[in-house]
Amino acid sequence: MPDAHFYRYDDYDRRLVAERVEQFRDQVRRRLAGELTEDQFKPLRLTNGLYLQLHAYMLRIAIPYGTLSSRQLRKLAEISRTYDRGYGHFTTRQNLQLNWIKLEQAPDAIAALAEVDMHSIQTSGNCVRNTTADHFAGAAADEIEDPRVWCEIVRQWSTLHPEFSFLPRKFKIAITGSPNDRAAVRVHDIGLRFWRNGEGEAGFEVIVGGGLGRTPMIGKTLREFLPKDELLAYLEATLRVYNRHGRRDNLFKARIKILVHEIGAEKMREEVEAEYESMKDSALKLAPETIEAIARQFAPPPLQSKRTRVPEVEALKLEDRNFALWLKSNVAPHRAPGHAIVTASLKPAGAPPGDASAAQMEGVADIADAYSFSEIRVSHEQNLVLPHVAIEDLPAVYRALGRLGFAEANIGKITDIIACPGLDYCALANARSIPVAQRISNHFAALARQHDIGDLKIKISGCINACGHHHVGHIGILGVDKNGAELYQISLGGDVDFGHTALGTILGPAVPAERVVEAVDTLVATYLEVRTDGERFVDTYRRIGIQPFKDRVYATV
Amino acid sequence: MAKNLRGDLQVASANRLVDGMVVFLDAAAQWTDRLDRADVARDEKAAERLLERARAESATVVDPFLVAVTEDGAGRIEPLSLREKIRAAGLTFAAIAAESVRYA
Ligand code: HEM
Ligand code: SF4
Repeated sequence: MPDAHFYRYDDYDRRLVAERVEQFRDQVRRRLAGELTEDQFKPLRLTNGLYLQLHAYMLRIAIPYGTLSSRQLRKLAEISRTYDRGYGHFTTRQNLQLNWIKLEQAPDAIAALAEVDMHSIQTSGNCVRNTTADHFAGAAADEIEDPRVWCEIVRQWSTLHPEFSFLPRKFKIAITGSPNDRAAVRVHDIGLRFWRNGEGEAGFEVIVGGGLGRTPMIGKTLREFLPKDELLAYLEATLRVYNRHGRRDNLFKARIKILVHEIGAEKMREEVEAEYESMKDSALKLAPETIEAIARQFAPPPLQSKRTRVPEVEALKLEDRNFALWLKSNVAPHRAPGHAIVTASLKPAGAPPGDASAAQMEGVADIADAYSFSEIRVSHEQNLVLPHVAIEDLPAVYRALGRLGFAEANIGKITDIIACPGLDYCALANARSIPVAQRISNHFAALARQHDIGDLKIKISGCINACGHHHVGHIGILGVDKNGAELYQISLGGDVDFGHTALGTILGPAVPAERVVEAVDTLVATYLEVRTDGERFVDTYRRIGIQPFKDRVYATV
Repeated sequence: MAKNLRGDLQVASANRLVDGMVVFLDAAAQWTDRLDRADVARDEKAAERLLERARAESATVVDPFLVAVTEDGAGRIEPLSLREKIRAAGLTFAAIAAESVRYA
């Protein structure tokens, strides 16, 4: 029986989480009683997702594959109200961070999470971390297969795998189920992209050695097409090669991206293929029953056939210009006719990107119950997604989101900014991120103008750790500290779209905080003057290069 | 934290163990959340002693360290670095509060 190493999620994980909560409660008690020093306690709290930031503890809650039920989201709201200051921050890692947790209450907060099968346990250490997926998984019109099924297969394989608990460094995998990458697969240790080959078979493109942080790299394709049932064998071969050759002598050089960079993609491919040859027919080949059993856990909701053309929607489009814009930017095609995917924007003008109050979380949970089969997704762009909305319900959903302040028609636009917590919260920061995002989004708040400017992704990090993904922003903004002053380094042309993945190029000397909006405005003005029909900001940049932008910005700033 | 010893005026700070809140050591060797109550060391020797006292009183806090501050004519002290200003004064923007958004 080849697939005996797969288990039922519930029993095993529930027990594990319950044990961990009680263990942590005891550890916290001993720390508060002075029986444990901070040095002894710190690794224990980090394992439980509890960080000490500038002015409070922060709890990082995992949202596997970015998928939440309304019941879970309500619980998150309750936890943020009971144990925090009534709001939370959805992150680029598809996590929720609570910023004001008290140590003495942290075990209760974690126990409350366990009531809805959630946890904050970071599979920390140098193992295979939580695998991330496309946030439109299971709904997108362009999807070939639900990537969460494969995330779960990878999770179960790697959790129980003794050989890979002590890798040279942590290891992150991302999977997209459609040819249009929404999971940034080229900037992960391993990225997997589903596609169909000439024979119509579905399989993966395997991409290795990407990553951001202080040494950003774009992943290289090791295998154009891997039949899907061979996934685990191929991953295992890749990890073995990494385990054998990855550098353990230098923390900053230990990621697989450095190995691939140093030995080259060609040599890496040879090594992996040789390893793979020796094991591809092993027990790791996935039986169809296993794949089906796991797929059942991600079964789509019972969607009924719905009208595809709805007069009320057409009428409202003519009546309410913002609704028409919202349909364009915040509503994406669903694979079931008569349905759509709605993105709730957590970026109303002037708000901290990705923050939601407890009341807003409850509001979204209510909308999901009424209109989206109680399902919610968290996107790595720090928004919430209602994956299964009937087109005829779009006006109602738009109004309900509007009451929460989440109906801004700005998805993918210049105010849909990704920003890390920065110096307002983070102990590692050089400069603030959130206030910069707020100033930019206030400046560009007018929706008609945003839609005229078109798709433009701004990403902001407060330090080189790149939690805000600034390397892959069309406009990337990185906070640096120069003799105590906040300066911002601007880069252009980063991209995570498939086929165009690129790291940004630095525009020039960093600009002072109070000049950032002006600089962005100048970049946009330059683009608007020279763009040709249908060209997005990043397309224009690719066509004309950095110089025209540079000349303009440094002439005025 | 040797580099902080170079500033003329220093206070001792830490995060409170139970809740992570920013605290400062006062003249009575108590941790307070009020910067204006902090005991100020006015030279290098005093700063060293202040840090020693802070470490001796660290059962209820995490990792005490020295923060360089300035003092104005009225005796008000303020940290020199932006990081420490933010630690002392809190977020530089209004956080979303649970009750600020109500929906029908
Ligand atoms: C505020 C507390 C936080 C701290 C102390 C922190 C710290 C770090 C550090 C040290 C790294 C580099 C790890 C490495 O390269 O080995 C990192 C990476 C990362 N962080 Fe954070 N982070 C924080 C918050 C966040 C938030 C809020 C997000 C999402 C918005 C985030 C997203 C990421 C991502 C995506 C990476 C991986 C970058 C890569 O290597 O590809 N972090 N973080
Ligand atoms: S990028 Fe730097 S400042 Fe921003 S959250 Fe990550 S570690 Fe903190």
